[in-house]
Amino acid sequence: MNLVADLRAVLGDENVLDEPVELHVYSKDASLMRGEANVVVFPKTVDEVSEIVRLAEKHRMPIVARGAGTGLAAGASPTEGGIVVSTTAMNDIDIDPENQTAWVGAGVINLDLTKAATPFGLHFAPDPSSQSACTIGGNVANNSGGPHCLAEGSTTSHVLGLEVVLAGGEVVTLGGLAPDTPGLDLKGVIVGSEGTLGIVTRALVRLLPIEPDVRTLLMDFPDMEGAARTVSQVIAAGLVPAALELMDQRMTQAVENWLKAGLPTDAAAVLLAEVVGETEGVESQAQLIADIGRSNRAKKVQIAADAAERDLLWKGRKSAFGAIAQLAPDYYLHDAVVPRTKLVETMKAVYEIADKYDLTMLNVFHAGDGNLHPLIAFDASDPEVNDKVHRAGDEIVSLCLRNGGALSGEHGIGIEKRDLMRTSFTELDLDAQARLKEVFDPNGVFNPNKILPEGSRCFDFGGIRRDIPEGAWV
Amino acid sequence: MGVTGLDHLAGLESEIPDAPPAELVVSPQSVDDVALVLRHASEANRNVQVLGGGTHSGFGSPPPADIVMSVDRLTRVQTWEPEDLTMVVDAGARVSDIEAMLAEENQTAVLPEMPGASTIGGTIAAGVSSLRRGRLFGTRERVLEVTVVTGDGRVVRSGGRVVKNVTGYDIHRLHVGAFGSLGVVVSVCLKLWPTPPAAATVAVADLGQAKSAVRPLAVLEDRTGLRVFVWGTDTEVAAKAERLGGEVSQGHDWPADPQGRFRWSLRVPPATTSEAVARIPQSWPFLAIHGVGELRLGSEDLTGAADLRTWAESNGGHLVLTDRPADFDEFDPWGAPPPGLEIQRTLIAEFDPKRVINPGRLPGGL
Repeated sequence: MNLVADLRAVLGDENVLDEPVELHVYSKDASLMRGEANVVVFPKTVDEVSEIVRLAEKHRMPIVARGAGTGLAAGASPTEGGIVVSTTAMNDIDIDPENQTAWVGAGVINLDLTKAATPFGLHFAPDPSSQSACTIGGNVANNSGGPHCLAEGSTTSHVLGLEVVLAGGEVVTLGGLAPDTPGLDLKGVIVGSEGTLGIVTRALVRLLPIEPDVRTLLMDFPDMEGAARTVSQVIAAGLVPAALELMDQRMTQAVENWLKAGLPTDAAAVLLAEVVGETEGVESQAQLIADIGRSNRAKKVQIAADAAERDLLWKGRKSAFGAIAQLAPDYYLHDAVVPRTKLVETMKAVYEIADKYDLTMLNVFHAGDGNLHPLIAFDASDPEVNDKVHRAGDEIVSLCLRNGGALSGEHGIGIEKRDLMRTSFTELDLDAQARLKEVFDPNGVFNPNKILPEGSRCFDFGGIRRDIPEGAWV
Repeated sequence: MGVTGLDHLAGLESEIPDAPPAELVVSPQSVDDVALVLRHASEANRNVQVLGGGTHSGFGSPPPADIVMSVDRLTRVQTWEPEDLTMVVDAGARVSDIEAMLAEENQTAVLPEMPGASTIGGTIAAGVSSLRRGRLFGTRERVLEVTVVTGDGRVVRSGGRVVKNVTGYDIHRLHVGAFGSLGVVVSVCLKLWPTPPAAATVAVADLGQAKSAVRPLAVLEDRTGLRVFVWGTDTEVAAKAERLGGEVSQGHDWPADPQGRFRWSLRVPPATTSEAVARIPQSWPFLAIHGVGELRLGSEDLTGAADLRTWAESNGGHLVLTDRPADFDEFDPWGAPPPGLEIQRTLIAEFDPKRVINPGRLPGGL
């Protein structure tokens, strides 16, 4: 039997797509890189996923797991062809209020989990901007962040257990409710592995109590330095706000042109800060942050008086990417990290790069953890512009690395940054990562050629290194 | 040196007073030295017990040591960027020294509060965590980058020196609790946390009372009762303490781990912590972290241990023996083997092909 027939026998006709138009829809994620799926499947159970993995190995077909397809690094683009496994039909939510956890299907939408947890006074902390669309499976695959991971950590800090289908179709449950499962923490390395080690079908996640009170502040600064210094001084004062988000003037102007969120468009930088906790705590913390802002020449400090005002302050931040459509048909959103102390000098250099290539660049980013998101608005139908956008992007990433930063803070490596991995790691580091991949996926079916550049598995010392001449590759 | 096959290590010998008996005790002064020791151990088929402060040496069932490798000369603080909330430190640095240094700038690495002589390398290898883990999470969440030397002498780094990073596989998280099986930790970048100006400890009568605190740093129970640990701004801490309504003492007076001939780590679902407390034999001292499900226990003998393990495992938990008399091997230190054992075994073979680093420490015969 051929692959599609095999899959139909397991999943039923209605859960297997192979018409060209259908395949086209699943041929890319939210990145700019397209692949070509051979077939798209919608399993409902872990046993079905296990069967799919067995069939993929039998037919020597790659498997690309896909949640909502909001990924920006082409992690879910089937660039090597193969079976796209959509997790959207695995969407059970089982909340355990006593342990403040939930077992959730990989296809559950991030915001739906928090909505389901709200009646229990709980929420799921990771909140990527795409949270109304992205899935928990995608969050696990990419170790997603969001504005609130400054205080609470990225997805990996909130995953206590995973149900995973491994090579050969083996199903394992790793981790659990009890802390510190003995042995190696395999769960911890599957989080963030972008579907290259196995397929996560369910996750046991930590839910945090909804804090009783919140204060949201918006401060505008005549220069980026004042905003960045405020961020550093807030942390030096012993506070870790729930969020510290920065927008530059180009971004506030774009947002205000599109929807009137009340952002000050004459300021060089706008800092959005949020603190959560008990009333006395948030009151005193908000005052402290406001004082620090003013001492750094903040012109105006708004503190939201109620939930409606808070929503309005956040609306400007959360609508930032939507506002781009009025400027250009396409945008390329970057994701890189620098140490917080290098924020100001990095931003200056980022603007210079954009100016050099004559590109429209806007910035909105997670200032608290140094996670930059330079956004270039452009028209992808112009090949010359396309080329400039990519060259500028490479320069921005190199700049961040030179300043002691990292390739990606929350979007992942996928294909987008795969070939830049050599700038971050030595041959030996990459070789170790390639060994890890091989151990989990000896037949190479799980999302092949993602994360690691070709030829990562270079070294094989056979146990003793000195047998190999220095510098030689085997 | 006179030890067949290990002559290459001449010059690295050391005299460490508390080192366990071994053919050879070495104290490398550099990462290259660590690699040299491990390559020659692999070649000569000798196991290497890595020695930090010696405080976590009771885990597992290791065979007698051939080579003891102390990290006592690798103690450098390589970088500390208070504003970036990061610190890069060598494996042999003592946890108490790191935290004392950080406290000068009102920061913490959220490492165990009563560390004794333990080193950061040993803390990571054993995967032990702070009592504040219910609020600030465990050691695994504090580790941003780890550099190790593998059993065959490769120097391998994972992660990065920024607080948020998804570049490549998180192998650094795997090293936490791996007892060196994927390589001897030589340096680590830690994610720091600012310490707010005020702190208080409030004694409370019961868990219901403790629950009036929103996300406290810790709710700890021992044989003397329940205490809630809070921190924040002055007004915040005063308000929290008043709402809790118990006897308040300023600052944090962290309890030490329970002692005994045997020491244990009981790990259960958080909601069953009180039930676990009720099941601990009366004569055993304990320290329970509510909201986490971690309990540290001490005992003079094994009476009641098997029942406790059966109960823990039937609830998805574990009872782990963390220390025992030197000659004792009558009780399986880990209990039921973890899932994914074959992958663990294959993975370890890629990083320590001759299985020379701390063999016998991990569960499942790894």
